[in-house]
Amino acid sequence: MPAALDSIHAIALVTCFALLGTSRIGACIRWLSLQGILLGLVPLITHDDGLGLRVMLLAGGNIALKGMIFPWVLLRLRARTSYPREVEPFVGFVASILFGIVALGLSVWLALELKPALPHAPFLMLETAIFVVSIGLFMIISRRSALMQVIGYLMLENGIFVFGVITVVETPLLVELGVLLDAFVAVFVMGIAIFHINREFGSMDVDQLNALRG
Amino acid sequence: MFADYSIFAMLAVAMLGALVSLALPRPRDVLRLIVAISAIELALAANLWASVLANGFVTAADEWFYVDAFSAFYVVVLVLVFLLSSAFAGVYFAHETGEHGFTLPVAHRFGALWLGSLTAMMLVLVSNNLGIMWVGMEATTLLSAFLISLHPSRLSLEAMWKYLIICSVGIAFAFIGTIFAAASIQSAGGVPADALFWTKLSSADVKLDPTLMRFAFIFILVGYGTKTGLAPIHSWLPDAHSQAPTPVSAMFSGFLLNTALYCIMRFVPPARHALGADFADGLLIFFGTLSILVAAGFIVFQSDAKRLLAYHSVEHLGIITLGFGLGPLGTFAALFHTLNHSVCKSLAFFAVGRLGQQAGSHDMHMLSGALRADRLWGIALLGSVLALIGVAPFSVFMSEYQLLRAAAGGGAWLVLVLFLAASSVVFLSALRHLIDMAFGDPPSPVRGARPGAPNGNSGALIVVSAMGLLLLLGVWMPVWFSGALGSAAAVLGPRL
Repeated sequence: MPAALDSIHAIALVTCFALLGTSRIGACIRWLSLQGILLGLVPLITHDDGLGLRVMLLAGGNIALKGMIFPWVLLRLRARTSYPREVEPFVGFVASILFGIVALGLSVWLALELKPALPHAPFLMLETAIFVVSIGLFMIISRRSALMQVIGYLMLENGIFVFGVITVVETPLLVELGVLLDAFVAVFVMGIAIFHINREFGSMDVDQLNALRG
Repeated sequence: MFADYSIFAMLAVAMLGALVSLALPRPRDVLRLIVAISAIELALAANLWASVLANGFVTAADEWFYVDAFSAFYVVVLVLVFLLSSAFAGVYFAHETGEHGFTLPVAHRFGALWLGSLTAMMLVLVSNNLGIMWVGMEATTLLSAFLISLHPSRLSLEAMWKYLIICSVGIAFAFIGTIFAAASIQSAGGVPADALFWTKLSSADVKLDPTLMRFAFIFILVGYGTKTGLAPIHSWLPDAHSQAPTPVSAMFSGFLLNTALYCIMRFVPPARHALGADFADGLLIFFGTLSILVAAGFIVFQSDAKRLLAYHSVEHLGIITLGFGLGPLGTFAALFHTLNHSVCKSLAFFAVGRLGQQAGSHDMHMLSGALRADRLWGIALLGSVLALIGVAPFSVFMSEYQLLRAAAGGGAWLVLVLFLAASSVVFLSALRHLIDMAFGDPPSPVRGARPGAPNGNSGALIVVSAMGLLLLLGVWMPVWFSGALGSAAAVLGPRL
């Protein structure tokens, strides 16, 4: 099924670049939701030994959480807190897109390096995973709003999920569920934290969190 | 006896305790409950340890739980730190008033998160499956985040957010490392179903792909290293330690960091097996030494007593990591140092916490004249910081001395010189801070200061037992104890 993987690869790249270049947080959350649904489909395609219950649960759980529940939580949080609806980057949008292009090149190179050690993993997905992880990290570092840091963290989770699916063929279901549960709790904990920060500081820009140094 | 049940019992007791604490009617009851739970856990842990030392290992639930001499030792240290810190929480919160008051909602939150963190750390230590271990580690981050901001304020929220984001990203990296490790066994034709069991990864008859194992170990070291507080990825640590309520700081410093280091060490045998000893040991020595040097640099300039202790944690975790990289003798010393540092650092935090309550600040100038202000905690501060910087006859001196011998025996002269230089800097600057705090002139009282509050018997009991343990192990190491440390060290490498 390389055709389906091709499309997922292409659309995943688009979502990453869209997230790098979008200035409205609401739009970013919707792009994140698309990315979550898309990458949740990967286990359905890469598992050539039929669609067992495990794979269905894994894909369904991921799509439900990362494609729907998390974006919904983030949208609610955005509605509940008072702050500018813009992303407010430390690094400008043009520079961010340029970073994305460089990161894409590096991801291809790293995926080529890893390819001989991971012969079973589809190359395109390997590259997608590395790229999504790197963009997620970049979002955490380069955006001022705490909400955007959560979005970056979820991109990181998306990338790691794809990486896990294509490299480790048989992860026990218990472990998968544990990982999902952790992501679930993490989003809620971060949400509550943002709520407190917003109430205390009247804003959720992380550059105001600068009193503790040395 | 029934050691496999004691694994279940330890997890169940802590988890039930967390739930029960939510239903208790008075804050005082929560503080009693956490002491009682920790005491039960200590009995269970001792039973488990004895059984592991007799039989070599204890396993349960189809090998999903597996405790060997190395993890059993960590379990005992974990429970010891929790017992001390829980007992201290009773002393500490009894004196908190006003906006930091220990009201019923705060008590419920504290009890549930405190025992929840204990459960999660226990899960990390007893799991054989590296995936479950990771889940437990992430759970400790999420549960303990709100312990830092138990009383939400600007500073504590800032510290909590940094902790949450930096450690979550770090732990995400550790997960990538875990996937690499599991993949390394598969592509070499192993059995996929138990690829995530560390007993499987470390067994000698499994072939591991060296490229993937190399990636795995680097990601693991950076990922879990973030939470261990290894330089240069320690930046969350001083903030979190200084802003958290003192019992929480003591638990973070005394054990949470060690839990993360434990996770790294579980990947060392497979890394040595796939890549030879030099790769893993070299990285451990590098990050250990770097942490010691960076911490020494920051210790000189500190003005806040809790931040000072936090940087001491970076230093001591660096020392422990360095020890793990120095072969069997170094591993033995590192394990001994783990116990010494945990007890000593908890006590130091207790002392600074109580003195800080009385002075209304943790600024070291405000704490000066501690011996006159409060005899008990003044002595505790003096003793614990002296022990911390390696003064004989405390046990920290013994473990650092053993570590030096291991470095000299292994011919690691550069490391030896750097370690001694950094230790001298730490010794002198910490001593300067300490002399001011212990013997200086008391400052004029500030707002919020409550001098001369009575300490009660439990405070004295904590100080005497912790100091007693440090002194006892400094002058006399029982044969069974050194045997236990030896078999724990043997898990990670060749027998002594």
